[in-house]
Amino acid sequence: MIRKSVGDFKYFTGIESLAQIATREDRVCVLNILGGESSEVTPVGHAWSGANVVFGTSPGRRGQVLETPAGNIPVYNNVREGLEDGHRFNCGVVYLPPSAADDGVVELIRVNPELTKIFIPTEKMSVHDAREIRAMAQQRGIDIFGGNSLGVADSWTQVRIGGALGGDSPGDTLKKGSVAILSNSGGFTTTIAQYLRMGGWGTTTLVSSGKDVYIHYAAPEFAYALGNDARSQAAVLYCEPGGYYELDAEFTKPVVACVVGRWKSKLTRAVGHAGAMSGGGDDAVSKERWFMDKFGVNALFTPDNPVCSAKGAVVVNIADIPAALTAVMATNGVAPDFAPEGTMELKAWFGSNMGVWLPAELDLPVVRAAVPYDAQVEAIDRHVGTVFARESMKDASGVSQMDAKTQVTRLNGVSVLDAAQYSLEANVSLALLKEAGGENDCQLVSVAVGAWLNLHGEATLAAAQAARDAGNAPNAVLAAALAIVGPRRTERARAIAQALIERFAAAGLKDALDQSFPLAGLLDAGDAALMLGAQPDPRAQAMLDGLRTRGTRSVFVRYLEQLGGHPSFDAVLAAITTTLGWGPLMRKRVSRLTVECLPAWMQLFGTAIGASVDASRHEATRFCGVDEVDLLGRCSLTEVAYVALLQGQPGASDLFAFQTLVGLLLTNGPGTISAQGAKGAVSSDGPEQPERVQLNKGLIGFLTHCGYAHGGNGFEGVAFLLAQFKDSGLADPGSPAPDVDIDVLVTRYVEAYARYKSDKKTSGNLDIMKIPCVNHPVFKDKPVNLDPREVFVGELMKKRGEHNVFLTFYKALVQKLYDAGVSRNVYCVNVDAVIAALLLKTVWPAYRAGTIKADALETAAFTVFLYARMLGCAAEIDDHLNRGRNMDTRAPASACRFIA
Amino acid sequence: MNITGMLHGARLLKLAGFPTPEMLGPDASESDIKALITKHGQVFIKPVFKGGVGKKGKAGLVGRATDLRTALAEKERLYFCEHHHGNQVAKSNGVTFEAGVPAEHEVYFSLTDNTRFRAPTMTLTHHGGVDIEELDKTQIVSVPFNPLTGLKAFIVANALSELKAPRQIISPLVQFLPNLWDLFHDYGMTTLELNPIRLRPDAKGRLTPVACDFKCGFDRDDPRWQRLSLPADLFAADYSDFEQEINQLRTYQGQSDVYVINPKGTILAPTFGGGANSLVTQMLGDDASISSDFGGNPPYEKMKAVARICFKHWLKQSNVLFIIGGKSNNTDIFETFRAMADALREHFGKYGAQPLYLVVGRGGPNLVRGMAVMRDTCEALGIPYRIFGFDSAMSEVVDYARRVDAWMKTGGRAEVARGMKLAA
Repeated sequence: MIRKSVGDFKYFTGIESLAQIATREDRVCVLNILGGESSEVTPVGHAWSGANVVFGTSPGRRGQVLETPAGNIPVYNNVREGLEDGHRFNCGVVYLPPSAADDGVVELIRVNPELTKIFIPTEKMSVHDAREIRAMAQQRGIDIFGGNSLGVADSWTQVRIGGALGGDSPGDTLKKGSVAILSNSGGFTTTIAQYLRMGGWGTTTLVSSGKDVYIHYAAPEFAYALGNDARSQAAVLYCEPGGYYELDAEFTKPVVACVVGRWKSKLTRAVGHAGAMSGGGDDAVSKERWFMDKFGVNALFTPDNPVCSAKGAVVVNIADIPAALTAVMATNGVAPDFAPEGTMELKAWFGSNMGVWLPAELDLPVVRAAVPYDAQVEAIDRHVGTVFARESMKDASGVSQMDAKTQVTRLNGVSVLDAAQYSLEANVSLALLKEAGGENDCQLVSVAVGAWLNLHGEATLAAAQAARDAGNAPNAVLAAALAIVGPRRTERARAIAQALIERFAAAGLKDALDQSFPLAGLLDAGDAALMLGAQPDPRAQAMLDGLRTRGTRSVFVRYLEQLGGHPSFDAVLAAITTTLGWGPLMRKRVSRLTVECLPAWMQLFGTAIGASVDASRHEATRFCGVDEVDLLGRCSLTEVAYVALLQGQPGASDLFAFQTLVGLLLTNGPGTISAQGAKGAVSSDGPEQPERVQLNKGLIGFLTHCGYAHGGNGFEGVAFLLAQFKDSGLADPGSPAPDVDIDVLVTRYVEAYARYKSDKKTSGNLDIMKIPCVNHPVFKDKPVNLDPREVFVGELMKKRGEHNVFLTFYKALVQKLYDAGVSRNVYCVNVDAVIAALLLKTVWPAYRAGTIKADALETAAFTVFLYARMLGCAAEIDDHLNRGRNMDTRAPASACRFIA
Repeated sequence: MNITGMLHGARLLKLAGFPTPEMLGPDASESDIKALITKHGQVFIKPVFKGGVGKKGKAGLVGRATDLRTALAEKERLYFCEHHHGNQVAKSNGVTFEAGVPAEHEVYFSLTDNTRFRAPTMTLTHHGGVDIEELDKTQIVSVPFNPLTGLKAFIVANALSELKAPRQIISPLVQFLPNLWDLFHDYGMTTLELNPIRLRPDAKGRLTPVACDFKCGFDRDDPRWQRLSLPADLFAADYSDFEQEINQLRTYQGQSDVYVINPKGTILAPTFGGGANSLVTQMLGDDASISSDFGGNPPYEKMKAVARICFKHWLKQSNVLFIIGGKSNNTDIFETFRAMADALREHFGKYGAQPLYLVVGRGGPNLVRGMAVMRDTCEALGIPYRIFGFDSAMSEVVDYARRVDAWMKTGGRAEVARGMKLAA
């Protein structure tokens, strides 16, 4: 039976009073209850409304439930199944996508004869469907709210239906009072209720009408039901241009109408609300006039010109609503519902000038946020470091990114070309702390890593040497050593780092180098127990001496020394690494987790470099011939690593070459095999429980994913150059006037290669050996091709007055290949050639002297790659640890293939 | 998404079996034009505009010719003519040659959704051929009807009776007009207007309605228009490159509505909510580069993509990045702010840092966490900022953003650049 319409409307309207819109007796069925929006919104509304949802639908998911604080809501395939199971409801909520919303409405109407109200939150529903929905609901005597509505709510009964009015904590906004709200904007429905509260007004019924072309529950019906609602003394209407709904509304109670959108008359199509387009006579100015006529006022209400009558006021700014309402109600002799809860003036919850001078009118102070947000702000302020959101990090990285155009990769925003100009120790900071280390940082890194280099008498060294003796490549040798450096080895240092962060964050330390930061009040017995030992620790003392000799600054080291005992080795290490991490931590560049892991990284880096050196070069007090006092007190990590790798004391040119090599090899993005290995190792440990992730295993993952083809191929270029220069008599490859005739060497090779190529073709064999380090899959097909990375290093060398005959050879080679018709265009000399040329130049004297053999050169070429990529992969591991999800690097079965 | 004129209108009317005059397109040969004039006595030459362009006749942009020479002269005059109407300027690209239809009667007909009736409504008058607004209300009839049954013959007949229309036009209109409902409803139209429909007599004096001009608007939220296989670029003029990029992300979950207000605007204001859009756009005026609504709880990836596009097009010229919305109900502030913050970091990483001031006004779920992400990002990038909660009046926050922009324009940008160690 069709319900009887109320009032004398030309169309069906079933709501007699606003009190009937959202009642405690209403029972609700939610279509697509498990959808993204509903699954967030429905539980909150259900719990706040006294469990008003009887069931929901989601095709194919019968038997599932939607968990809510007020108990589980059962889910059925369709409405009929829910009814057959004995549920009854009078309200349907349609959380369906626009193309399916009308289907949902039809289902509700056809299947449930007890239906009286439908709520449609769906946005972007077509006008076509809205037309038909309107007609169907009219025929069956059903009230519809929406589409694009955030539903309705009642502050008296504490019920909301069909949307998210009041957000995730409706009670914060919806306070019982005497004002009803009808708003074209769902967001503003809540915002206006909030503003009213601050002005001393509570609410009765709130209706988010939506602002599609068809508004099914609109101003005329609202005005009628307002008149019949004894609780509502007044109403606020928020309206936008478009439609004649408000024109026909007959109000019998005071109203504040907020009309916004004069500017919209300039638009040629809708932005935001689909129906907020005027056709001429229904623009914002017209609507202002309609209301002014209804209220008998001749101007808008503004704070400066508070024009109103007992019937109402018109505003164009929602912030003026509370004042206008108070003025209108005062005319009627009605006071606000309660004392105002606040003011609307500007209150910055967060702010900083970042050192910029601002005019006084803009330089607003940060004030305490409103309750309960103030406590949340305080908690956030106590939090140090950043927090990354977890997501699948398969083939993704938050630290490295390759520019497909230039093939230049950036590590933490720094191009490897720039990183090639930093020292190894500065790049340690860049990799893990996202900022290249400054002078003090570099000294600290040199001590922290340097303390782990000498493995004399350690199991790690024995393992590495055994692996080496068994014929393993350098990557496997390093992996053998690192497998021993498990998490327990740095457990205490990590705990100390945690304690230091906790204590000094609470103390408000901003600058870890601040020598004047007062420590007296901080000294703590618990810290003493954690950080001091019963006896002096010689290794700790050696590090402290080294730090002193280098003149480093650290609040944390100073703190240790003031604890008044014997700082442990772990404590000194943690003090150093926390100093390194403090700036980036305070600047929210890194997470607290990252800084807590730093002691482990220092140990892993030191052990890896140490293990790359034959056991014979580890002595009780010396490493590679460097006295430990110098190791900790004088040498940079770059220098020591150079000595470890290539022996002999490096000159400035050698160090330049070495750090250029390291920089260029740092990373090639998350897609490289080495990075994939490292990320897989983290993923399989489960980064969502970061304390369980074994960092050493992460590096082993990287190491097992290097090999002769990835990392070891740098030697191809070296071998090629050795073959060309073997009998050349070259004495000094760095001389500006080398004592070899490059043209002769190049010509000889090109002629031989041309013959080889021709022979191959003649014999029908197209498997032609490629010349190492020339040509590139990206930098090709131009008349003259250049690898920008080679160009960059070339220019850098030019600036420094450096020469490299091997690079000159390569440049001449590509030109000669073209001139001789062997290549179609001038190939580029790629970055691998740069690496080979730099490396060979460095070891050329030793090679000529016979103190280093070709196989050792191959090891060196591979190892330098490992040194560099170790840092890049540590960055990936730390990144995956912070952002990744458990097992996120696995490939779905559907993406895998079986090859028969 | 509007179409005016017979170039495409004639094709659409054929779908409803509605007669149209014989017509030639912009590439018609001189002999074809001459033949058309010879056959029909006269032709109308009309410029071809993209989009919804009205009142061409009033603007003198419709030519009439009874000889080839005049027709060609009119073609030259109108082919690339400009038409100023309201705030819009349209440029023609091409002309149509439409055969004159001799008739005694001209009819106005339109279908649209009328918000007073809340139903599809036919508007009809037999005093057509002029602007409908110029007629007395008694000369027009507007009739709502049930969309489930559509526009039926009796509705047209009743309307014509009410209008006291000449008897001879009733039968042909009752026969042809109802077919237009199918075109209107089945292809996602929101308006359809034929003015004039001229009633052409045949040899026996029987009248046939012929649509001599065509206007329609499509619902951009209704994919039915795609069934018409209209040329891909037909609606391209409606959108800038920026708008088109954003539109590609237009899905039902989360709004992504944008409109370029001032290509030289200095406040980039990602706005959340239709209401906030109205308020903010009105208050910022031409200081804003775009008007937008990104509300509706967009997921992280979508929000980030939207922000990335906004930043790519507008950030460089902007003094103020102004993120504004009311107290959201459902939009997760943490997710949306995190997406925008990440996009901002990436933008700075890709295009370099720039002087900027961030102003935020917002409320909603996960508010403080979201604000903290913005704060951290500003701190990391060196951007000065003020972040306001929902307890500051939104209009005051808008005003603050405007004042910051004004200061940035008068030396503030250089100050911020110095603070960020950048060139202004």
